[in-house]
Amino acid sequence: MTERQRMSCARELLVCPHCDAVHGAVDLRRHELAACIGCGRVLARHRSLSVDQLLAITVAAALLFLIANAYPLMAIEVGGLHSEATVWGTALPMLHGWTAWPAAVLALTMFILPLIQIALLLWLLSFARFGRRAPGFCAALAALHRSRPWSMTEVFLLGALVAIVKLSSWVHVSPGMGIWALASLTILLTVISMVERESWWALLKVSA
Amino acid sequence: MGSPKGFRVSTPVRAVTLGLLACQTCGLVVRRSPILAASSSCPRCTALLRERRPGSIENTLAWLLAGVILYIPSNLLPVIYVTGVGGGEESTILRGVLEFWKSGAWDIAALIFTASVAVPATKFLALGVLIWTVHRDSSRARRQRTALYRLVEIIGYWSMLDVVVVALTAALLNFKAFGTAEPRLGIVFFCGVVVTTMIAALSFDPRLIWDKGCGDGH
Repeated sequence: MTERQRMSCARELLVCPHCDAVHGAVDLRRHELAACIGCGRVLARHRSLSVDQLLAITVAAALLFLIANAYPLMAIEVGGLHSEATVWGTALPMLHGWTAWPAAVLALTMFILPLIQIALLLWLLSFARFGRRAPGFCAALAALHRSRPWSMTEVFLLGALVAIVKLSSWVHVSPGMGIWALASLTILLTVISMVERESWWALLKVSA
Repeated sequence: MGSPKGFRVSTPVRAVTLGLLACQTCGLVVRRSPILAASSSCPRCTALLRERRPGSIENTLAWLLAGVILYIPSNLLPVIYVTGVGGGEESTILRGVLEFWKSGAWDIAALIFTASVAVPATKFLALGVLIWTVHRDSSRARRQRTALYRLVEIIGYWSMLDVVVVALTAALLNFKAFGTAEPRLGIVFFCGVVVTTMIAALSFDPRLIWDKGCGDGH
């Protein structure tokens, strides 16, 4: 605790994580963003979405995630035989022998981590909605930032589209409800990821 | 004294010069007093505070080399085996690209080539250049090199594309009589390339690009 007391913070300053340049924090107006004078990295963006709006988007994302996993992404038909695949079902046939490794990576990056991301967002925002700080706010937010590079819903969407084209040259492919849900989910997750790190930590101040 | 160097507008003041430190997890700016203790944690998010990622260059180089080594079998070994409808043969990544190209789907061929061949190769080159120039304490083109690092960060995970395509094809095409598709060992190595190069990029600390010979007393 003495260590914490000895370190004073400078909340009015912003340091670029890519080049270490120091900036004074400014209030951004609508459509404005702050870029680093050293390396050009975007440091902060005006958050045009309210907590209510972010929560609404997250709830929609959670529902879309459910639909994307409950309904098949696509189905194929050959000579009266029928086969379909869901997001979760994609990794399953590979879960034996050496291919269990890529199967585990797929399960983690396409299913488990996006699920964790949505769950953490729901947790943080539903408390912030009522002006309260969620229990474990800091750990949850840190986990959200750390897992971001490994959450790959958009890659899965593009991969599924390529698979449709590839298979359609051999068999009859019909896209399922899952692929539409996945496409919408990708859009919503992109909207949420537009909110910069600083804005998330600002929620701490609001709901302290 | 001598001739006053003055403050150059093109060189921003850096946190390390002012005795400030930004938490890499939450971005909170902390004053170090007077030096950073070995195990001080961020007052806001409790993550371990460190001046720079420890062993950044060594770790990046090690993961990068692992990626380069895995890249060879990932391109030589077949990634998928298709029977029946697909012609009954094993296929490597490049062969898959060629088949799309020949069948007239040049756009899909270009997409898979970019994600599976060009992106990993770009990552090897870019991270190699970044490690080499930081090792040499180069002060040239800092802004451009930082932009190069961001490019590596952004394109990184798109290489997983082919793993998804192979997995989906294998999951769907499982009719004994009409055709089956099975993943092959190549995809294991390929997935290894994606994971190792992503860890390599995450291990690299871009602030090292700006650390040496910056004209601010360091």
